[in-house]
Amino acid sequence: MKKLFALGMMLTTALVLVACGGGEDAPLIIYQNKVEIDDVLKEYAAAWGEANGYEVEVRTCGGDTCGYANQIISEFNAAQQPDIFVFEGLGQYLTYQNKIMALDGEDWVDETAVEFVYEGSVYGFPINLEGWGLAYNADLLEEADVDPSTLTSLAGYEAAFATLDDQADALGLDGVVSMAAGSGLTWVTGLHNFNGYLSSGLEYSDRSVTVDLLNGISDTARLEALADWAELLFDYADPEVLLEGSYDDQVNAFKLGRTAFIHQGNWIDPNLIADGGLDFEVGYAPHASGLGDVDSIFVGAPSYYGINPDGGNTEAAKQFLNDMVFDDAGHEYMVNEANFVPAFNTVSLVPSSPLSAVVYEYAQAGNISAWWQNDMPPGFGMEQLGPIYTLFANGTYTKAEFVEALSQEIATLAE
Amino acid sequence: MTETAPVKTRKKMGKKASDRLWFWLFLMPALIPFLLMVITPFGMGIYYSFTNWTGGLNPTEWVGIENYRGLLTDYRFVYSFLTTGIYAALNVLFINAVAFGLALLVTRKLKLTNLYRASFFIPNLIGGLIIGYLWRFIYTLVLTRGLNLFDSSPLIGDNALIALIVVVTWQYAGYIMMIYIAALQNVPEDLIEASRIDGANAWQRLRNITLPLIAQAFTVSLFLTLVTAFKQFDTVYSLTQGGPPQLSPPWLMNLVGMTNARTVESTELVANVIYNRAFSFNQFAEGQAMAVTFFVILAIFSIGQVYFNKKREVEL
Repeated sequence: MKKLFALGMMLTTALVLVACGGGEDAPLIIYQNKVEIDDVLKEYAAAWGEANGYEVEVRTCGGDTCGYANQIISEFNAAQQPDIFVFEGLGQYLTYQNKIMALDGEDWVDETAVEFVYEGSVYGFPINLEGWGLAYNADLLEEADVDPSTLTSLAGYEAAFATLDDQADALGLDGVVSMAAGSGLTWVTGLHNFNGYLSSGLEYSDRSVTVDLLNGISDTARLEALADWAELLFDYADPEVLLEGSYDDQVNAFKLGRTAFIHQGNWIDPNLIADGGLDFEVGYAPHASGLGDVDSIFVGAPSYYGINPDGGNTEAAKQFLNDMVFDDAGHEYMVNEANFVPAFNTVSLVPSSPLSAVVYEYAQAGNISAWWQNDMPPGFGMEQLGPIYTLFANGTYTKAEFVEALSQEIATLAE
Repeated sequence: MTETAPVKTRKKMGKKASDRLWFWLFLMPALIPFLLMVITPFGMGIYYSFTNWTGGLNPTEWVGIENYRGLLTDYRFVYSFLTTGIYAALNVLFINAVAFGLALLVTRKLKLTNLYRASFFIPNLIGGLIIGYLWRFIYTLVLTRGLNLFDSSPLIGDNALIALIVVVTWQYAGYIMMIYIAALQNVPEDLIEASRIDGANAWQRLRNITLPLIAQAFTVSLFLTLVTAFKQFDTVYSLTQGGPPQLSPPWLMNLVGMTNARTVESTELVANVIYNRAFSFNQFAEGQAMAVTFFVILAIFSIGQVYFNKKREVEL
């Protein structure tokens, strides 16, 4: 009896120790953060693995319930590290630098314009294109007799917003724009709105304003243009969404026709198509945050696949990425299953969801401005700039103080 | 365990040695995980706070007290300490007052006592994150837009901290109530009865008999509420996300040696600042230094509180 006990104790002890160790077989692990494509990516990866003789495991961590940015760190410290994982722009690249290998010379590099490059080497495979401008409800604009083609300057927007506001009751509007600037939605302001300062009106590859910002230098004229634009958005914002709304509140206000515009990107498509879809046409107008007239919306690769040199399956990982670009099954997966706007010239399929189709059109026409918001240091946009926007939205800051606070915050980056 | 009847004679040295062996054998399953999962990370955490650690992604170098020195001029960290102090003080007060009141109520001989006890306790069974989302809905949609009790949601106004305390009290008072109930039921009936015969009124009975006899429950409850208040994280995360932001007060800027006002978050508590520093700003070592500082201060506070309360306990 005692021996049995002793055995039991030892077994328990051994179990505890084993549980902390790792297994042996190493499948190709893809670690990604898009909850919405979890199913279709798993399906595609399994089919690809079967055809090529690999075992592929897709792990997803994202959305409200799983913090990707902190979970990925523990994955790197685990016995089995991910082979392919997601990173978003320069800030995260610098954080994970040692876990991302150079991909120069891969076949897919020649087929895209938006691969992630750092100091002359390619490191990131663009997962898709995303874009945002100010999305509009074309039916409501037509009803109010506002021509979307006039929305290319601040004056054009002022006139359009005033017209819509006058007819708010007749059109059933709670506000003209569904704009969010409260706590928890500081990515809308501190990253997406602020990107206008970094890229509006500049060439797609012009990083000068961003480089200055990283050195603590701000451009007052550009900040003032941004402040005018933010003020206009806040003045005409749906008051229930602006400070106390959640992301769902913001999207629903637009989807249900209670606002004519929304300050969001094409990632809201799944929400727009859900539950019966939209009964109106949509389009994008450019953000009037630049110094002159604007004709471009912000389009870029939101995130990239990097390959981890310590993952143990680098060759398989490279093949996986190449096949996605050059095989029809890969195209089918990207455009029709995952609903991506493809980032590669090899893909001729056109996305079908409402805002993605508009982003695709802008991208084809070349009317695009760059994404530099992810080049800011981690936390800077959401934690430092976002609250300043909130204080401007709730009236604590005047426009001049808002500009002053932004430039003061930028100056701290010089340290 | 004691052995009453003499068992067969055993080899002399065997007995003691095998007892010791058994002792360690039984301890192993608890000791090993404790060492691996509590002591080791704790030690590593203290070590990392003296380095430029970035989560194991870059080579780690020793930087001495650099991270700690930065904390003194970190306006967000300093402000969150103040917020946490106010939050903890009010929270301890509210929760214990409400819990003790409820406990007195449900130990009366009322109808449906058990039903009351259960329903006061139930909020404690809901996770903090869920409670946060639930009350966001209650504050914003029900109280503000539905019943028009407020002009705008309390969660974005000046009293967001109070709004948070109300939620946490609602969640935690039921649990503390249980501790008070247990203590109240242990107060001997005969003492109460004797005092009643001597002509003591209800207040005198509470003040001179009940309270001294349940001082132990106060020690435990104050300790629990103080520590949980300091460690509060999840409900803030889902209820207010630390917001709403406000301008930093001038005295704060003087304290940390800065001239211009910056933005601070009105309900951002120390645990939230630590989390943000590590996972939003990717400054793991600084976050770790904050956590160690926080641990030391919390330890001083809670030990002091227990020492103070212990002196007031009486033994029967």
